[in-house]
Amino acid sequence: MTLDLAQFHDTFFEESFEALDSMEAALLKLSAGDVDAELINTIFRVAHSIKGGSATFGFTDVAAFTHTLETLLDQLRAGKRQVSPGLVDVLLRSCDLMREMLEATKHKRPQDTGRVSALHAEIDAIMKSAGDAAPAGAKPAAPVAAPARAASAEPERSGWRVHFVPGSKLLRNGNDPLRILRELQTLGPCTIRVDAKYVPPLAELDAEECRLAWNAELSGDVHEDQIRAVFDWVEGECELLLEAFGPVAGSKAAPTPVAPPTTPAPAPADVAPVAIPSAIANAAAAAPAAAAAAPAEASRATNAGEGGSIRVSIEKIDELLNSVGELVITQSVLSQLAAPLEGAEELRSALGQLERHMRALQESVMRVRMLPISFVFNRFPRLVRDLGQRLGKKIELRVIGDQTELDKTVLEKIGDPLVHLVRNSIDHGIESPEARLAAGKSAHGSIELNAYHKGGNVVVEVSDDGGGLKRDKILAKARERGLVGPDEELTDERAYNLIFAPGFSTADVVSDVSGRGVGMDVVKRNINELGGHVQIHSTPGKGSMVRIRLPLTLAILDGQLARVGNEVYVVPIVSIVETMQVRKELVNSIASKGEVFRLRDEYLPIVRLYELFGIQPDHTELLDGLMMIVEADGKRVGLFVDELMSQQQVVIKSLETNFRPVTGLAGATMLGDGRVALILDIPGVITRFQMKETRRDAAQRAA
Amino acid sequence: MTPVVNTTAPAAGAKPAVGQIVLGTACTIHEAQALRAHLLEKAAHPGPYEIDGGGVEQIDTAGLQLVVAFALDCLERNVHYVWKARSPVLEEAIRVLGVAPLLESPGASMFGGAA
Repeated sequence: MTLDLAQFHDTFFEESFEALDSMEAALLKLSAGDVDAELINTIFRVAHSIKGGSATFGFTDVAAFTHTLETLLDQLRAGKRQVSPGLVDVLLRSCDLMREMLEATKHKRPQDTGRVSALHAEIDAIMKSAGDAAPAGAKPAAPVAAPARAASAEPERSGWRVHFVPGSKLLRNGNDPLRILRELQTLGPCTIRVDAKYVPPLAELDAEECRLAWNAELSGDVHEDQIRAVFDWVEGECELLLEAFGPVAGSKAAPTPVAPPTTPAPAPADVAPVAIPSAIANAAAAAPAAAAAAPAEASRATNAGEGGSIRVSIEKIDELLNSVGELVITQSVLSQLAAPLEGAEELRSALGQLERHMRALQESVMRVRMLPISFVFNRFPRLVRDLGQRLGKKIELRVIGDQTELDKTVLEKIGDPLVHLVRNSIDHGIESPEARLAAGKSAHGSIELNAYHKGGNVVVEVSDDGGGLKRDKILAKARERGLVGPDEELTDERAYNLIFAPGFSTADVVSDVSGRGVGMDVVKRNINELGGHVQIHSTPGKGSMVRIRLPLTLAILDGQLARVGNEVYVVPIVSIVETMQVRKELVNSIASKGEVFRLRDEYLPIVRLYELFGIQPDHTELLDGLMMIVEADGKRVGLFVDELMSQQQVVIKSLETNFRPVTGLAGATMLGDGRVALILDIPGVITRFQMKETRRDAAQRAA
Repeated sequence: MTPVVNTTAPAAGAKPAVGQIVLGTACTIHEAQALRAHLLEKAAHPGPYEIDGGGVEQIDTAGLQLVVAFALDCLERNVHYVWKARSPVLEEAIRVLGVAPLLESPGASMFGGAA
C-alpha cells in the first residue's frame, strides 16, 4: 500500500500558518522585556511542530531552516541566551520567512534562497556568539533541576513516566514512533522499555500497522507541555499516558490519556530496560530550576479546549445556514396560514413553539460562522511595532474585547479598513516623542483597539491619544478643492467626515505609510458595503476616535418593510435616518437636481421608488405617502413609498446567484405570507436614480 | 529500492550453514511489504540465520518491527540467528526504540556474538 501524504498537506499548511500567528504574537509579547517561560515554550513548540511536519512531508528546505531556528530557541529556552530586542527582531523576521517558505512550498514556487541563506547565516552567527547570561530573575523556559537538589550528593529523581501505545493507523498516516521517541529523548535522561507482547507472528503481522508499545521514564523537571509537544503529530492516533514521579509529582498532572488507541493497551513491559543517554542531559542538569507545575497545567487546560473542535469547510456551514433560512421562511408561512384559522389554538401554540426553536437553531448556526475579532486584531501588534520603529515613534497598543465575535465574512472584510485606520493613527495621529513631551504628554503614544457588541451590532473603535484632527486645516483643504462653499459652516461631525472624501489628504508630506489621500475613502466604502457606519470623534490635542458599527452577519438583515403598490421592499434599517410626511410647500424643482424637498437646512432629492422600478403605486401625491430619508456614502435622499409596514429580520437571498445582479437591489427575501420582497441596496438606489436623472436631463436638452 | 538485496547462502566453512539475510539500504514503511515477504521466505528455511544489517541507510519503526517479529518467531521456534553487522543507522534505531533485548538471539554465542 502506498501512503499518499499529499492528502494532509492542506491541513499542515493551514495549521502552520495559524501556529506562526501564535508565534508572532508570543514574540511581540517577548519584546516587552518580560521573559516568560511559557511564551518561549509557545514559540519553541511552533518551530518544533513545523520542523517535524515539514520533515515528514519532505519539505526539506523548510525543515532545515526551522531546525536551525529551533536550535536557537532551545538556547533561549534553556536560559543560555538572553532575550534582546535584536534577537526578537531576528526571530520575527524568521517567522516572516517561514510563512513565505510555506507559501512558496504550498504553491510549488521556488524559495527565495538568497533570503533563506542570509537569515540562516545570521542565526548561525548569533548561535556562535557568546550567549548572554540570562538576566537575574529571568527563568529558563525548561528548568530541569532545583538548585537544592542539584547540590545534593544523591538528588532525588523526578520526572515523567510516559506510556505510549500507537494506534493501528499511526504508521500509515506518515508518523513514526522512531522519530517521536528520538525527540522525547532529547528532553532529558530517558529509559525506554519496549512492549512487544502484541506483536503477532510475522505471517500474521500487517507490515504497516504498529503493534509495538513503549514505556519511557524521563528524568528531570521537564514540563508536561514539552512532552506533549513531542506527541503533537499523533494526538488522536495513540494512547498517551503521562504520570509524574518524584518529589514534585503531587503537583503535576495525573495520568491523562490523549486518545484511545485502536489496539488494546498493553500491560507494563516485561522487557529489560535500555538506558538512553541524552544529548542535552548534562546541560539540562546544570540549568537552574523552578519549573512550576502550574503553568504546565494551565497550558494543558488551554489545549484541552482545542481538543474539542473540528474543522469544517465554510461551504458546508453556508449550506446549513441556507437550509435553516429556508426553514425559517417555511415556518413563517405556516404561522401566517394558521393565523386566521378558528379553533386552531393548539396548532398556533405548536407553531409558536416551532418559531422559538427555529430562532434558537438559526442563532446556533449563525454562531458557527462567528469568529473572534482577535483574528484581525492579532496583526496589529506587529504593525504598530514596525511602523512605530520606522517613524521613530514610541507607541503602545491596547487591545480590548478581542474575543468579540462576528461573522467570518464581515471579519475578512474589516481587516483592511482597520489597517488603514491604525496606520493613519500612527502616521498622522501620534506625535513624535519630542512633540509629545513639549505638549506635556508622555513620550509614549497610545493606540487602542476596542470591540464590543451593542444592540445587535459589533462596534469597533480605533482611538489614539495623538494631536487630534485639525478641523481648520481640513476645512481649508475642502474649500480649496471645492468640497465646501467659501462661507459654508459645517458641524464638527460633517467637517471630520470630509476626510472620507476620495483623494482627500491634509498631510504635508506624503509618505509610503499614508498621506496620499487614498485609504480613508476606501475605508468608508468598505464599511458601507458591509452595511456598517463610521463615525469620527476628535478632540484637538487629545486624540481621535473612529467608531465603526458593523452588522453581526451578512446573512441576516434588520429591515424596514415598505410597500409601494403591490410590491414590498426591505430597506436596511442601518441606512434609514428618519421618516416623515412631506408637505407640498417644502418641495421644489431644481434644474440640475430634479425634484427636491427641504429638510431643515438642506435640500434632498426625492426618489420615487415606483418610478425607479416601473411599478404602479397607490399614491403619487407626496402628502398621501411617506418619505424615508436614507443615507449612503455621505449622500442623503428621500425615498417616497406608499406606506411603512413592520420591521423584521430577513434572511438574505442572493439575486446574483439566483437571478442576476440588479443595480439598487441587494437581494431578495421571502416574507411570512409567501411573497418575495426585494431588499434595497441604498448606494445602488442612489446610483440608479442619478443615472435616470442624467438621462432625463440629456433628453430634455436634446428636445 | 530493494529491501533485501542478497540472499546468497554463505560459503561452506567451519561455521554451521545458515540462511543469510541481508537487509537492504532502505527498510522503511515503503519497503515493508517486500521486506515482510522476504523474511517470510527466509523463515521457511530451518535456520539458523545470519542477518546482515551493515548496509542499512534508512529504517523506520515499520521496518524494524518486521525484524523484531522475525526475531520473536525465531525465539518461539528455538531457531538461532546472529547479526553479521549492523550499520550505525540501524544501531541508533534499535537503541531509540529500545528493541535491543528482543534482537539478541539465545544462540548468538555459537557465532561469537553480535557485531
